[in-house]
Amino acid sequence: MEAGQKGLGKGRMNGSTKDAITAHRISRVLTRNREMIQLSLQACMHCALCAESCFKFQSSGGDPGYTPSYKAINSIGKIYRKKGRLSEAEYREINELVWDRCVLCMRCYCPVGVSIPSLIACARSVCREKGVFRTYDGERNA
Amino acid sequence: MVKAKQKPLEEIFALIRGYKEKRRPRDVLQVLTVGCGGCTSVCMAGGQREVLVLNEELTELARREKVPLQLSCVTVERQCNAQFLEDITDLVQNADCILSGACGAGTQNLGDRYPTKPVFPALDTMFIGVDVDVGLYEERCRTCKRCVLGLTGGICPLSRCSKGVLNGPCGGTRSDGECELGGGLRCAWNAIYERLLAQGRVDDMMEIQPPKEWLERGQGVLVQRGFEERYDPRYDKDSA
Repeated sequence: MEAGQKGLGKGRMNGSTKDAITAHRISRVLTRNREMIQLSLQACMHCALCAESCFKFQSSGGDPGYTPSYKAINSIGKIYRKKGRLSEAEYREINELVWDRCVLCMRCYCPVGVSIPSLIACARSVCREKGVFRTYDGERNA
Repeated sequence: MVKAKQKPLEEIFALIRGYKEKRRPRDVLQVLTVGCGGCTSVCMAGGQREVLVLNEELTELARREKVPLQLSCVTVERQCNAQFLEDITDLVQNADCILSGACGAGTQNLGDRYPTKPVFPALDTMFIGVDVDVGLYEERCRTCKRCVLGLTGGICPLSRCSKGVLNGPCGGTRSDGECELGGGLRCAWNAIYERLLAQGRVDDMMEIQPPKEWLERGQGVLVQRGFEERYDPRYDKDSA
């Protein structure tokens, strides 16, 4: 999610101001979803049963990197633990996890009721705030 | 996927300006532009990048026209799914009106979720189509609810024939296989014939199709096979 960037006159901000605003917005997303993230990460038993319901996992030939829980833990889990303070390279890795390896079809099934799509969507929101998101014209995003 | 294009900037601005002058003449109008990370993002009409640019252009236009607007924006993963709209509740509450970068379905879903906020469309939804190239899309489906592709070699006569002739061709096919309307448009029925000929099943196109029941086009509801017990006998979205 990306909020209010243009309303604040992005072009006239210096780098540190922009970084501070981005950090604030990321923090806002994480705060808003804190309970859901904490509960979900604690509830996940790493049973990998969710893998069976993921068509991306199936079509990858069973690559563990496509397991829904892996994608959630290594995206929003990592973001949450580091309070959003990740390097550009780490955000690019997460971008690949939450966009290339997940289409948010919402079919993943968790036996303990973790909403994996909500976690992935939250990771995408943070990425959007960071300006790292999927584009469709072959150009790199901001 | 659904394909859409952005409305002319002046039209979008007129929608917002009209609302402001009638309802909030003395306020600085808070407008929240909501992008969609789904189909309209793929066709580069209402995704995160597009709504950022749109807000920039609207801000500039409002400044020139001396209309006090405060624009902010947010992009959700899919506006056609209420689950993804929950995350923007606080932003919506602080806005006077919403500008949606989604298709007609997403825009309506946004309006249904936040019924006290006026929702304005920033896009015109065009069709269900395919990506021919970056920024180039072609219509392939008119959601007629009774697909005939099985008999027409996988080419839809409704969306690809200029006249939407269901039992064609119309007689206006040129010798080079183009439609009589010209413009490089291929005659869909000629294409259907050629494909069926190559597949050895030209007789399929001889089957007469009854007219489509367009008059019954009320609100479409789809209960997928296997979910009948959950939603039937009377589908009620409020209890779903």
